[in-house]
Amino acid sequence: MPDRRTLITLAVLVAAVAVSVAVAELSGVRLIDRVVTVMCINLILVLGLQVFMGNSGILSFAHIGFMGIGAYTTALFTLPLQMRGMVLPNLYDVLATVELSPALGIALGGLVAAMVAAALSFPLMRLSDAAAVITSFALLVVLHTIMVHWSEVTNGPRTFFGVPEATGLYQAAGVAVLAIVGALAFKESRTGVLLRASRDDEVAAHTIGANVPVLRWRGFVLSAFMAGVGGGLWAHFITSFSPNAFYLKETFVILGMLVIGGGATVTGAVVGTIAVTIAYEGLRAFENMLNTEQVFDGTVVGLTEVVLACAMIGILVLRPEGLAGSCEIGATALFRRRPQPTGERP
Amino acid sequence: MGQVIQFAIDVLSLGSLYALMALGLVIVYGILRLVNFAYGELIMVAGYTLYLLDGTALPWLAMAAVAIVMAMVFGVLTEYVAFRPVRMKSVTAVLITSFAFSTLLQHAALLFISPRSRLVPTPALFTRTVEIAGVVVPLRNLLTIAAAVAVLALFTFLLRRTVLGIALRAAASQFRMTRMLGVPANLVITSAFAISGLLAGVVSLFWLGRIGSVVPGIGLEPLLVAFIATVIGGMRSLPGAVVGGYLLALIDVSLNTALPQALLQFRDAFTFSLVIVLLLWRPQGLIRGPATGQRT
Amino acid sequence: MLRVSGLHVRYGPIAAVKGVDLEVRRGELVALLGANGAGKSTTLLAIAGALAGRQGRVELDGEAIHGLTPERIVRRGIAMVPETRDVFADLTVLENLRLGGFVHRRTPGAFEEELERQMDLFPILRERAHQAAGTLSGGEQQQLVIARALMSRPKLLLLDEPSLGLAPLIVEHIFALIGRLRESGLTILLVEQNAAQALARADRAYVMALGTIAAAGPAAEIAANTDLEAIYFGGKARGARA
Repeated sequence: MPDRRTLITLAVLVAAVAVSVAVAELSGVRLIDRVVTVMCINLILVLGLQVFMGNSGILSFAHIGFMGIGAYTTALFTLPLQMRGMVLPNLYDVLATVELSPALGIALGGLVAAMVAAALSFPLMRLSDAAAVITSFALLVVLHTIMVHWSEVTNGPRTFFGVPEATGLYQAAGVAVLAIVGALAFKESRTGVLLRASRDDEVAAHTIGANVPVLRWRGFVLSAFMAGVGGGLWAHFITSFSPNAFYLKETFVILGMLVIGGGATVTGAVVGTIAVTIAYEGLRAFENMLNTEQVFDGTVVGLTEVVLACAMIGILVLRPEGLAGSCEIGATALFRRRPQPTGERP
Repeated sequence: MGQVIQFAIDVLSLGSLYALMALGLVIVYGILRLVNFAYGELIMVAGYTLYLLDGTALPWLAMAAVAIVMAMVFGVLTEYVAFRPVRMKSVTAVLITSFAFSTLLQHAALLFISPRSRLVPTPALFTRTVEIAGVVVPLRNLLTIAAAVAVLALFTFLLRRTVLGIALRAAASQFRMTRMLGVPANLVITSAFAISGLLAGVVSLFWLGRIGSVVPGIGLEPLLVAFIATVIGGMRSLPGAVVGGYLLALIDVSLNTALPQALLQFRDAFTFSLVIVLLLWRPQGLIRGPATGQRT
Repeated sequence: MLRVSGLHVRYGPIAAVKGVDLEVRRGELVALLGANGAGKSTTLLAIAGALAGRQGRVELDGEAIHGLTPERIVRRGIAMVPETRDVFADLTVLENLRLGGFVHRRTPGAFEEELERQMDLFPILRERAHQAAGTLSGGEQQQLVIARALMSRPKLLLLDEPSLGLAPLIVEHIFALIGRLRESGLTILLVEQNAAQALARADRAYVMALGTIAAAGPAAEIAANTDLEAIYFGGKARGARA
């Protein structure tokens, strides 16, 4: 039975998602609807990254590669049969006859991402620090190269189009809520607790019998599953995309959300996603305004990323634990009605 | 015979660039145990410096010198912005700040210059060719090799014969002890970043000389190259970085001639898989670095 | 010359040094004794400025130095020989010594002059000058780190366990050397587990236990007090002596 604090955390975070959905619904503006949908998808990706990074303390660059796997998997299996020849002229015959519903396709995308992660990552989990980061970066490059060049199933560097539109606000929000539950459950599970112990002191975790690579591996596989599902949902939202959608730029945005919110907690992932989405959309609107009003001679591009990068550096220097701090929202003073009865410490 | 010479010059000129790139990454990594993701952007900075100086009355060599100095300035700036404020915190924090700084520089170039590619001035010498034993070789390739030899000689002299160089080598193995002998930590670190910028600056002249233009994303490929080369050679060994650079060039040029076209496009996937395998098999790389060390 | 008051050091949640006061006067050889884990090495490292989580006051010739970085403390005239020895294994003996003289690198001739003095004091280093320091034996490495520390011409030398892990004959040699350094007028704060040897040469001694100073006094008095030995040196009773 999860403790009271975790349940409060869950309730507050789900409420945050619900409020966002309500705002989108009540405004009736299509743009806001789309922004909140993307926010919910990003939330799934950020939570996925938090599951691995927040608990193990290891930075992973490969995350967005798994998002790509999820997106391409569902795109491939849900593409209407009559469109296959047009989108993927060189598709293998075996695959040319299967067509799944988007829901199944997204689930399959998550599974394939998780399976790829499970198969590839086990030996990588022994590494720490810089070696771990460089291998995960290398993994991202490998996945990206494959997406760019495996024309038979990805249409190569060109746009993959014709994915059925199936992800709406409610689907995205529903899965985001599941992702919050999943991330909290993993954090409070035995694996999660031991993994966090290993993050703080790897040697000590060994002495209490924790097999650190196995713990990390479990986190990594769950993380890849969430990335795959997020990628699948995104594919059915955007309906056409190319491999460049799953590379360093997206990595930067998702990592930025987690870092700004605070990587150690699920609350941080949610806070970061919401805060960065608002800031991002605001800046983009500002950028567009500058461009339509022709304030400057040329077009303004990149301002959004410049500000986000500055915010990331600023946060890491001034408040390394992130906007949300180092405790889950349910454990903060806001919800502490009275001192804990087990008052061994003053 | 002609083919052998062609192959050798290709490997040596490409390897020279790779080796210098790798060295610039390792000199920082060796001392701080931190990967500088903003390293590729130093090439970009040098490139845009050349672009902005184009059209001034300066001779090319002067422009090149300014470009190298700018790369050094930005190398040191990376340290001040992305490393120094978070050095004591966590490894992950520094990796993220340097990644963020890399994005910052790239998008600043997008914002203030242009997303489109810009021509950089190259000296007339670069486009000439010479004939060696019946093989026509671009003079640029020979100049690349010569420049690398000169820079490596300078670098070796600096590390072997000057007190600062000795201090840099010492700091790579025992940072705290080096400080306890009176060597200021910040001096060592700033010097490492300046040297890193110098190497990137020299590389940029030849790298951009091959392509002829600069775009905001130009730093990614050299960064990846430096990653692979350092992993092959040993993350913490300076000679290892040089060996790794030339080895990677050998692998690349061989794959280019040996692989069928259909597989060639997956070359990056092959080389990066090699990186992963190598890191698993020998986390230290092929050449081991100095004994042990701590970072504070 | 050196005055430490109210020194506290924590490693995370663990308090290693809890309120140490000690004093070293000019020209003295002071021994800091105690069992493993008593906080002796931590005290020395804190004086040298190498530890982040420290509190308290450290004065050298009446000037506060506890806020300074290790590199500045060396410039003030305190040189440290750590327990871990920390030779730069990949550098030659000569390069190690050159770094030792780093603080005087701008004074012309200072390095050569000091190098000659150390080479005379440690003849073995002259023989090994161009060898990588990592190839030296334990005793040779110990001489190298002492010589390297002396290259900065310190007023005060902090010596941490110079006899650790060395053969008895070499230990004898090292202690004879410490005696000579003291006679030449150098002030020394010596951390040792080899209490008998240290007390034989020291002017005064402090005994540390569990992060605090448990006893202090002239070396002969401390040496005569067998109770202290039984309690703090482990000695025969607990066999914890190195």
